[in-house]
Amino acid sequence: MRPFFLTAVVLALLVPTVVAGGLFERHYIAQAFTVSEDLRVARTTEFAALRYQLDEETGVRGFAATRDPLFLGPYRDARANLPPTLDALPLDLAKVGIGDTPLVADLAATNATWVRTVAEPLLAPRSRDDAAIERRGKNIVDRYRTDIAQLDSLLRDRQNQVDVEAQSAINRIVVLMLASAFLIVLVAVASVLQQNRLGARLEDQRLRAEAEERRNLELRAAFDVEKRIADTLQDAFVQRPLPSHPMLTFSATYVPASEEAKVGGDWYDAVEIGEQRVLFTLGDVEGHGIEAAVTMNRARQALTTAALTGGDPAAVLTRVNGELLRSEARMVTAVVGYADAGSYEFAYATAGHPPPILLEPGREPRMLACGGLPLGVMENARYAVERVQSVPGALLVLYTDGAVEHSHDVVAGEDVLLGAVVTASRSSERDIASRIHANIFEGRQVGDDVAILTIGFGRHPAAGAAKRIA
Amino acid sequence: MNPAPTIGVIALSGELDLARRTELQEVLRLRDVHASILVDLSAVTYADSSILAELLRFRADAARRKVAVALLITTRQLSRLVQYAGLGDAFAIYDDRGAALSYLSEAAG
Repeated sequence: MRPFFLTAVVLALLVPTVVAGGLFERHYIAQAFTVSEDLRVARTTEFAALRYQLDEETGVRGFAATRDPLFLGPYRDARANLPPTLDALPLDLAKVGIGDTPLVADLAATNATWVRTVAEPLLAPRSRDDAAIERRGKNIVDRYRTDIAQLDSLLRDRQNQVDVEAQSAINRIVVLMLASAFLIVLVAVASVLQQNRLGARLEDQRLRAEAEERRNLELRAAFDVEKRIADTLQDAFVQRPLPSHPMLTFSATYVPASEEAKVGGDWYDAVEIGEQRVLFTLGDVEGHGIEAAVTMNRARQALTTAALTGGDPAAVLTRVNGELLRSEARMVTAVVGYADAGSYEFAYATAGHPPPILLEPGREPRMLACGGLPLGVMENARYAVERVQSVPGALLVLYTDGAVEHSHDVVAGEDVLLGAVVTASRSSERDIASRIHANIFEGRQVGDDVAILTIGFGRHPAAGAAKRIA
Repeated sequence: MNPAPTIGVIALSGELDLARRTELQEVLRLRDVHASILVDLSAVTYADSSILAELLRFRADAARRKVAVALLITTRQLSRLVQYAGLGDAFAIYDDRGAALSYLSEAAG
């Protein structure tokens, strides 16, 4: 809006200046006209004074030469008119700024001298030396003419002066007008340019906003697509159905930190291998999103495949570590193992993962051993198999770090988790995993994704034994 | 117990999580002048898995450059987290500064 403000200011200053200047100069010019008119009047009076003197002289000389009274008429008229004319002359001169000149007084004196020494002797009935008198008369009249000429020169100078003043006033008006016009054109051009620039800027802004909007929409769309894919992957991966087994009970839950980040890279799996053994894996991929989901899928697939093709849990982890290193995947923590429904034995190995919890009937729950580097970080990482001989009714709880690190106090987190496991095991709830999660986060903020998988040995060993025999 | 001048000490403190990962990467950038490095984690109260992963990458980098690394861990919090992550397999971990430094000066020598 600044250029418009500037234009307004310039015009606001310009218009009064031009008007005032115009009025001022108009006054000058009007004055010049008045003075010119007065000058014209003064010159008329001045010429009248000259004419009357010449009329007087002509009359007198005519009469002197001819003695014809015809010449006395003009002489007498001029004689009557000259004094008032010479009386008016100083007033007219004063009006045009030529006051107090001795010339007027000299004119009157010269005429009086001429009348006395030339006209009256020549008009007398008997003239003596006409020629001498006429010579003297010519000299006197010349003096009169000279006075008039000087006076006229004064008047012409004054006229010139007035003309010059009027001309410069006119020049000033022209200059003022031209300058105003130039300034107005300048401001107009500047304002148009400015407006164009403003317009261009606005247009630029609009285009940029549109591009931004489009990009946001695209990002949003991409995000939606990614989220849909990731959600689908997550749903498909995480919520794989758990086996139903006569001697083993399973429960599992996966709770993302938020609906926005539904894909966390956590997973769990339980797969029957033969009649008595179940393979279990649970893990966590560093980060979120599709990439994490892809790594999760790869790790989980590799672990399952490696386990199904044989080998103990440590060998499985070693193989998968190598595969992940080769594919330059993200860091993965995992626990992989087998539960044997016949012998009540667990065998497992961990890779950078928190320890499994074992809850046996009539005992305090305990954290089992853990160790081994995360998968996909270091060559030659070593993993150890942990074997746990357990009892009927025992419950193995596997979980991701979100279940213990929610307060960033892992020591307190372990106590909370152990308490949650005990409470959940005592409830009649079949879905122990969900119960554990609910117990942990009762009155707490869920800070990270949490996956929990529980595997329970049946309380009736006879059923298992019978089946084994069968 | 005389720390050799070639032992670099990187002292970290507070909660280390994803938000401080870049900072950690800066700090852990290996300085070649040191034959061995002590990473002092005694003032660290928490480290998430991304930080532990960063420490492991640092360890691998150091191993390639033949730089010995020891971790100083004095809190139960961190020693538990480090146990989860299995870092004992990759690092020399000490709960005593003197012992860590003497290990490092020996390794450097």
